[in-house]
Amino acid sequence: MHLAIRAPPPTLYDMESFFARYRNPLVLLALLVVQIIGLAVQVHRTDSSHAGSARASLDTRDGSGVRLIRLWANSLVSPPERLIHASGMGIAGAWQNYLDLRHVRQQNQDLQKTIDRMRLEQAALLEDARQGQRLQALLQFQEKYIYKTMAAQIIGTSGSNQSHVVYLDKGSSEGLARDMAVITPDGIVGKVREVYPHSAQVLLINDQTSGAGVILETTRIRGILRGNASGQPQIVGIMSDNRIKPGEKVLTAGGDEIFPRGLPVGEVAKVVRDPERDSFIDVILKPAAQLDRLDEVLVLTSVEPRFPPDQQQDMATSEELKGAEVEQEKAQKKASEIMAERLPGLIDPNLPTDQQPLNDSTPPNPIGSQPQPLHPDRFTPGDTTGSPQSAPAGQSAPAPAPATGPQKSTPPRRNP
Amino acid sequence: MSVLTTDTRRDLEIRRYPLFAYVLVPLLALVLQAWLPRVLGRFAWFDLLLIVTVFFALGRRSPIQGMLMGGILGIFQDALTNHALGINGIAKTVVGYLAASVGVRIDVENFTIRLALIFLLSLVSSAIYIFVVRVLLGLELDSNWIFEIYKALGNSLIALVSFPLLDRFQSRD
Repeated sequence: MHLAIRAPPPTLYDMESFFARYRNPLVLLALLVVQIIGLAVQVHRTDSSHAGSARASLDTRDGSGVRLIRLWANSLVSPPERLIHASGMGIAGAWQNYLDLRHVRQQNQDLQKTIDRMRLEQAALLEDARQGQRLQALLQFQEKYIYKTMAAQIIGTSGSNQSHVVYLDKGSSEGLARDMAVITPDGIVGKVREVYPHSAQVLLINDQTSGAGVILETTRIRGILRGNASGQPQIVGIMSDNRIKPGEKVLTAGGDEIFPRGLPVGEVAKVVRDPERDSFIDVILKPAAQLDRLDEVLVLTSVEPRFPPDQQQDMATSEELKGAEVEQEKAQKKASEIMAERLPGLIDPNLPTDQQPLNDSTPPNPIGSQPQPLHPDRFTPGDTTGSPQSAPAGQSAPAPAPATGPQKSTPPRRNP
Repeated sequence: MSVLTTDTRRDLEIRRYPLFAYVLVPLLALVLQAWLPRVLGRFAWFDLLLIVTVFFALGRRSPIQGMLMGGILGIFQDALTNHALGINGIAKTVVGYLAASVGVRIDVENFTIRLALIFLLSLVSSAIYIFVVRVLLGLELDSNWIFEIYKALGNSLIALVSFPLLDRFQSRD
């Protein structure tokens, strides 16, 4: 007889003690699982063309929940950043002024106040002057640039070295939208990734998730621009080529539907071998725009060309001349059509296609339908009467018999 | 390193902070984290939200509160980037849990221990971040470990200065 000792079933008390004992790890596990599920919802798997294998990529179009959280974070951070930016000097300036105040107050407080006020004013004026110079340069560029742009100021960053994004002080209320190009007079900066009512997130060209079509100015080699781990923009996906040398300028290629072609991107800093693919190289660029010291930028709000007045006048004159030429061509065409209507054509619009004269294979002038001459003479085919001179006066030559068969032609009589 | 026994764990003081400290300090950290890199450029070697997470986790000595604080701050940090929400959230959730768990067992009042703790937790946070991005999500992300070490050092130095300042918010019962 076999006796088995069974363990008692777990009671409610045991379960409670289990949860009480492992409460913290269980909460940690739950939080991690929830966040991992949230990540899985946001990331989808796509086919990568260059690798040839399916890889995950972040969906650039955030869901409503994700967008709401981003909006909350932006609403929390943007107003203080805007305040700091509007204060002019910011925390660094305030700290410097605080140190100055402490030092001079020991000597003479009243004098120090005056000096500090003047220093502040001077610093503020200097900062204003610098900002004025930058804005003036920006305005000059904006005026001569053929696309419609909007000036904006950088008010913040992502705060992460893995995410190279900055925030603008303008948003959808000012007319900004996703995927608008952001540039400076020096070169391209990035594109608008997310738009909020009064601010916008810009993805810089040195971010690892960015992408822009570029072309090397001299060698005309095209590639895709993206950032690397060090925050440097690099061109990836191009074959090894000895012609690419440091210093060569790089321009936008215009095929990405974001940046117009021909904008400066930077210049080649160095060429390194692609660690993953042997025959490919990575071209590290020195960006034309100072991406780590951006203050004011321009956002391309419209890609419709906007020409200055003198060019617009030239274009209008050109259009007028072109219009006159077109009118002349139309008149010539109309005249030729009238001529074609009056002249006999080879195509009869009233006949079906198989009965058109062009499709007729019979000889163009059959004997049976040969027109009869009004005054037959000795040259008339079928004439046997001889020359008109041999006929008696007042007697006309007999009319030739109707040609029902081959006729025997008579050689003409020779005159004596 | 002075390691406490299990019996003396309960003797440790659980610090309490007013509500505004739980709101303003993380908010200030979030704003500064977003704004200072614009001034410092590529020398912004710090993660203020991680420092705040560790500070409250050590002070409260509650792993659950540390996890919640770290998770929320991490998600808000992610919300300012172009990355998916939850990458920093996972990293800081784990950091909050570890900080509170370690804070119960060792004396974190010692400056050297604080320095080492923040340094290690920063590296752990970076490692989890890269693990989540590369392994869990399968995204392409190049990393620079020299920068992560610089950031861990920066976090340690900032924590040395900021922890005594933040302790002034402590409520005295």
